[in-house]
Amino acid sequence: MTSIGVYYFGAISLILIGLYAILTKRNLLKILVGLSIMETGVNLLLISVGYVRNATAPILSDYATPTNVVDPIPQALVLTAIVIGVATTALALSVAINVYERYNTLDIEKIRGLRG
Amino acid sequence: MTQYASLLIALPLISAFFVPILKKISKKAIMPYLTLITLIQTIIAALVFRDVYTTGNPIIIMAGGFRPPVGINLYIGHFASLFALIIALVSFLMAVFSMRAINIEPKDKYAMLFLLLMLGATGMIATGDIFNLFVFMEITAISAYALTAYNKDAHASEASMKYIILGGIGSSFFLVGVALIYGSLGTLNLADIAQKASLIDPTVAQVALALLIFGLAVEGELFPLNAWAPDAYQAAPHPITTLFSAFVVKASLYAIARIVYLLSSVETWQNILNLLIILGTLTVVIGELSALRQANVKRMIAYSSIAQVGLIAVGFGLGTQAGIDASVFHMVNHAIVKALLFLAVGYVALELGGAEFEKFRGLGKRMPLTAFAITVGAVSVIGIPLFNVFWSKIKLLLAALVAGKTFVVALILGASLVEAVYYIKLIHVMWFFESEKGEENIVLGIIMTLLIAIIVLIGIYPDSLWHFIQEAGRDIFDKAAYIKNVPLLEVVK
Repeated sequence: MTSIGVYYFGAISLILIGLYAILTKRNLLKILVGLSIMETGVNLLLISVGYVRNATAPILSDYATPTNVVDPIPQALVLTAIVIGVATTALALSVAINVYERYNTLDIEKIRGLRG
Repeated sequence: MTQYASLLIALPLISAFFVPILKKISKKAIMPYLTLITLIQTIIAALVFRDVYTTGNPIIIMAGGFRPPVGINLYIGHFASLFALIIALVSFLMAVFSMRAINIEPKDKYAMLFLLLMLGATGMIATGDIFNLFVFMEITAISAYALTAYNKDAHASEASMKYIILGGIGSSFFLVGVALIYGSLGTLNLADIAQKASLIDPTVAQVALALLIFGLAVEGELFPLNAWAPDAYQAAPHPITTLFSAFVVKASLYAIARIVYLLSSVETWQNILNLLIILGTLTVVIGELSALRQANVKRMIAYSSIAQVGLIAVGFGLGTQAGIDASVFHMVNHAIVKALLFLAVGYVALELGGAEFEKFRGLGKRMPLTAFAITVGAVSVIGIPLFNVFWSKIKLLLAALVAGKTFVVALILGASLVEAVYYIKLIHVMWFFESEKGEENIVLGIIMTLLIAIIVLIGIYPDSLWHFIQEAGRDIFDKAAYIKNVPLLEVVK
């Protein structure tokens, strides 16, 4: 396996681990952790897309020439995605606090006020 | 000078961040401020609409003056200008409704999130960059999560939680799709992607498109990912429910259609269309059957709304110009009708303290105008002639016949039949029972009358609107024109 393959493998594994946690766990907080793991996996995948072997960071300097830097666009995308992920996680946790206050449980099997 | 169209994005964004300052000055001014901003937005959108339709050319705005694909561009074509107007108009009407419907603090947060929701949906239909689309989608989603939880009771928190989890999965799927497309084409600009579409490996394109569709399907309420929708519709504040149904869904559906049709030259494209038809069909069937057995009217209309969304997706999946035209027409009609229905039902729920079927008993005596509005909306959704949805359903039917998809015809007719069952049950409950007389709000009465007038006008003279719809449909279908209109810079590799 080449070195880039390791990154892709790792990224897809993280996405699947996150998805598994979301689909099977009953505790709300574990589901949210799964969501975060999934986001991390996606970010790693994006970074790997822009990876160039033996290249340096895309910062203007004496060493960095157009031919030996990694692709900067995925890094900008990941930066944005991380910020969005933080916002979603913060909101999700505060809603989870609200849910806990109303239902006195974090078990999704017991949070069933809305039916029909 | 057409650069003022960027105000469609800039105005709600700037205004949203002025709300905390305004709160320090006067708390009473927040709701009128929200109404004023949405009114200004409506005026700007109307000017943009007039400009685009009189010149026939889309307005391209390049952020920072950098030419795409280096810079990010906005593409305000026929579809985007038509829908920006509908978004702004519905927002304005719902801002007026909010003055009455929102009685719990913090109203400043409500106004801020309301503006951000409007901004996100406008951005989704106006952007010309796939990652920018993701950012606007997340702005819409995060403000929608927060607004769903706004009432802070048990149901609102639960609904918001479901929405956040599904939305999180959806946004991850979308980003993986973006990563696949960027990895194979090295560009994020939609026009550039369309231009290079033949270079992408067909299998990769198929997987990427499927992931993008699944990502957008959360907001777009397509079947496997729409479990949040009825709960959120039921638990969210009444004006917000209207916004969800009228344009948040439509913005995502448009994004799906835009991305799918820009990549129409890949070999595996037909599979993607089939995927859209399958998802749409399942959405219609499950939505209509669930609507049948609801005890809460707001939830019932939510399911009906989901079913209509399925019909729109099926129209996009036909892969013909006629199918897109019909879908766009259905989107516009559905936005108007559902705005009226959710407004009227929300008003009743507000006055009588709930939206259960018993509350609607004898509504024709108690609130005659509201009951009449619900009746017109219901009759229109069923697809009775002289009302607007009839025309979009018939166009969809004809488009399906021409495309040779006979089962879609059966689907539309069957859906209309099921709709008739549960809507006529509602009409029966409203008009054939006695109850005491009641009062009605005049401002809301005027808004409802206005919407009823639009529904009947389109129902009697569909041709005047049909002309605009066809232009908007061509905007989505004609990808050669889309590529030509964006002044792409040649990037040397």
